[in-house]
Amino acid sequence: MMHITPNIPDPDAFYAALLDTHRGLSATESQALNARLVLLLANQIGDQAVLMSCLQTARNTGATHRRNDP
Amino acid sequence: MTELSPTGYDLPVYDYVRPPELSGSGSGHCRVAIVGAGLAGLTMACDLASRGVAAIVLDEDDTVGVRGASSRGICYAQKSLEIFDRLGFYHRIRDKGVTWSVGKVLRGQDTLYRFDLAEGSRSAQPPFINIQQFYVEWFLVDRIRELGCTELRWKNRVTGIHQDENGAVLSVETPDGRYSLEADWVIDAAGHASLVRQSLGLPTQGELGEDRWCISDVRFTKELPVERWTWVEAPFNGNRAVWQHLMADGVWRIDYQMLPNTDPQEASRPEMAAARLRDQLGPDVEFDLVWVGAYAYRTQLMDNFRHGRVFFIGDAAHVKSPFGARGGNSGIQDAENLAWKLSLVLKGQAPETLLDSYNAERRPAAVENIAVTRRSGRFLAPRTDMERLFRTAVMDLAVDHPFARLLLNTGRMCVPHHYGPSPLTTGDTGEAMPNLVLSSRPLSDMLQGEGAHFLALWCPRDAQDRLGSSLSPLTQEGWPLHIQAVSADDRKALGMAAGEVLLIRPDLHLAARLPNADAEQLRSALRRATGRT
Ligand SMILES: Cc1cc2nc3c(=O)[nH]c(=O)nc-3n(C[C@H](O)[C@H](O)[C@H](O)COP(=O)(O)OP(=O)(O)OC[C@H]3O[C@@H](n4cnc5c(N)ncnc54)[C@H](O)[C@@H]3O)c2cc1C
Repeated sequence: MMHITPNIPDPDAFYAALLDTHRGLSATESQALNARLVLLLANQIGDQAVLMSCLQTARNTGATHRRNDP
Repeated sequence: MTELSPTGYDLPVYDYVRPPELSGSGSGHCRVAIVGAGLAGLTMACDLASRGVAAIVLDEDDTVGVRGASSRGICYAQKSLEIFDRLGFYHRIRDKGVTWSVGKVLRGQDTLYRFDLAEGSRSAQPPFINIQQFYVEWFLVDRIRELGCTELRWKNRVTGIHQDENGAVLSVETPDGRYSLEADWVIDAAGHASLVRQSLGLPTQGELGEDRWCISDVRFTKELPVERWTWVEAPFNGNRAVWQHLMADGVWRIDYQMLPNTDPQEASRPEMAAARLRDQLGPDVEFDLVWVGAYAYRTQLMDNFRHGRVFFIGDAAHVKSPFGARGGNSGIQDAENLAWKLSLVLKGQAPETLLDSYNAERRPAAVENIAVTRRSGRFLAPRTDMERLFRTAVMDLAVDHPFARLLLNTGRMCVPHHYGPSPLTTGDTGEAMPNLVLSSRPLSDMLQGEGAHFLALWCPRDAQDRLGSSLSPLTQEGWPLHIQAVSADDRKALGMAAGEVLLIRPDLHLAARLPNADAEQLRSALRRATGRT
């Protein structure tokens, strides 16, 4: 099951580190970094059902949420 | 055996013989007609012949392979090799072909990923042998002739078919004119452009891929390891993909991904092929081009692999892109799947309903093969910037992270389909058994012989166990069954528990795994496995 309750121990520190990781990168380099990050995190999760719900949730949130399902 | 000449291969030419129907002596009727003498049709004929079932094979050509010495299929998977072993000509494939198990995915000079398919392999046959497709067809023809109950009719082109509940009638064209041939059962193995399929008006869902490839079959002086090498982005091919693989006669198959709008004629000009080779192997490499040809990927799938008295096998039923060698190998498995069923039905040992399980088992296998090859195709030809971005991320991570290597997809090698949901399977099983060697006898050996039979392996609880004799009435009841006790050593190899019975099908797939078995359980598994329920 995908976590819906908060699970990150220090949210602010994580968020700051996430932004810092992208510091000084062009938009293209940042996109590439994000792609690597997604793959690394996916391997940490390692649960197919959770991964599928995360993909769905990411797609159905924000500016893309009104578009048809992929 | 013929030698490779500088211009290519000297392939056998088979004599056309005026069909008896045109001399007024033929009956115009046969039990089984097979249309097409490619990998699928010939395996079908050979498998039936090995069971003592006669058939007439009709092929429009009079040689093996397709026009010229183009070799399409080169990689033959373990399951196919096991089938060739049961059919009695595996040794010829082994002696002529190139056995390999190591594959590498490269980026420039660097190996991103290396695998060895021999690790964990438990079959008497190796994971793969590479050999030109026409050699396989050639050896099949030789073996069919040796078995001596099949009529091979060359230069007999099937132009149409009609059928009713009792049989089908094929219209056949020969150099001496036309004739009709009635058949109780027709097996259409005429490849992706099947006329039988068209003349029955049967649809096939299909698409032609945009991705273009160009094959060079070539011999050169440079020594290279006998491994399957694939580049996702080869610097010597404009950062597009390349395959490099050895087959028989010292000929390398090198397959280059082209730009989507490439003109196939232009790409296969010998000068172009030579330039690509020099870019790859160095300016001084000496080579002979054996064959060059461009092609596009094609996907096709029929809705139902059976239509009345007609069965569709191989490319006639399903076509997919060549990633992972799933084309010919799955056609060979189609043939094996249908042959034992047809044999049991023709010998009155199973009801005709058994034949419906051919579609129930082999269509899902084709659906899976198409899905798997599509994923490889998508990895190799990213459709958007985002797809390319993720592919780059995978390759960047693959250098240090094993998990990412598993995402590199240059083709997933062909494996047998799992018949779990099949109506023939009892319980949670259906996988193919490897061709294990039990007490120095391979399983494929125990499945040889006239007709088709199942194998019940039972595992004694102790020296006095009477399980074996409690099962033996089943053979007297007429079930197509051989019963055998397993030794303590074999028990381990089979992963069996004391008191357990494994019911193995004639195609080496597991029909049932029965813990604490008794005769009634085995009987009911056999009933299912022969299409009675
Ligand atoms: C580039 C490439 C690489 C490949 N690599 C591999 C690989 O490594 N391993 C693998 O397993 N597969 C591979 N394949 C796929 C493989 O070649 C095909 O899946 C295989 O040839 C299909 O066999 P088939 O018997 O179904 O059809 P075909 O080989 O097409 O045979 C059909 C036969 O029917 C005959 N015929 C057609 N119409 C009629 C008619 N009207 N009357 C009488 N006869 C007729 C033809 O003469 C022919 O002999 C590859 C394919 C390509 C294109």
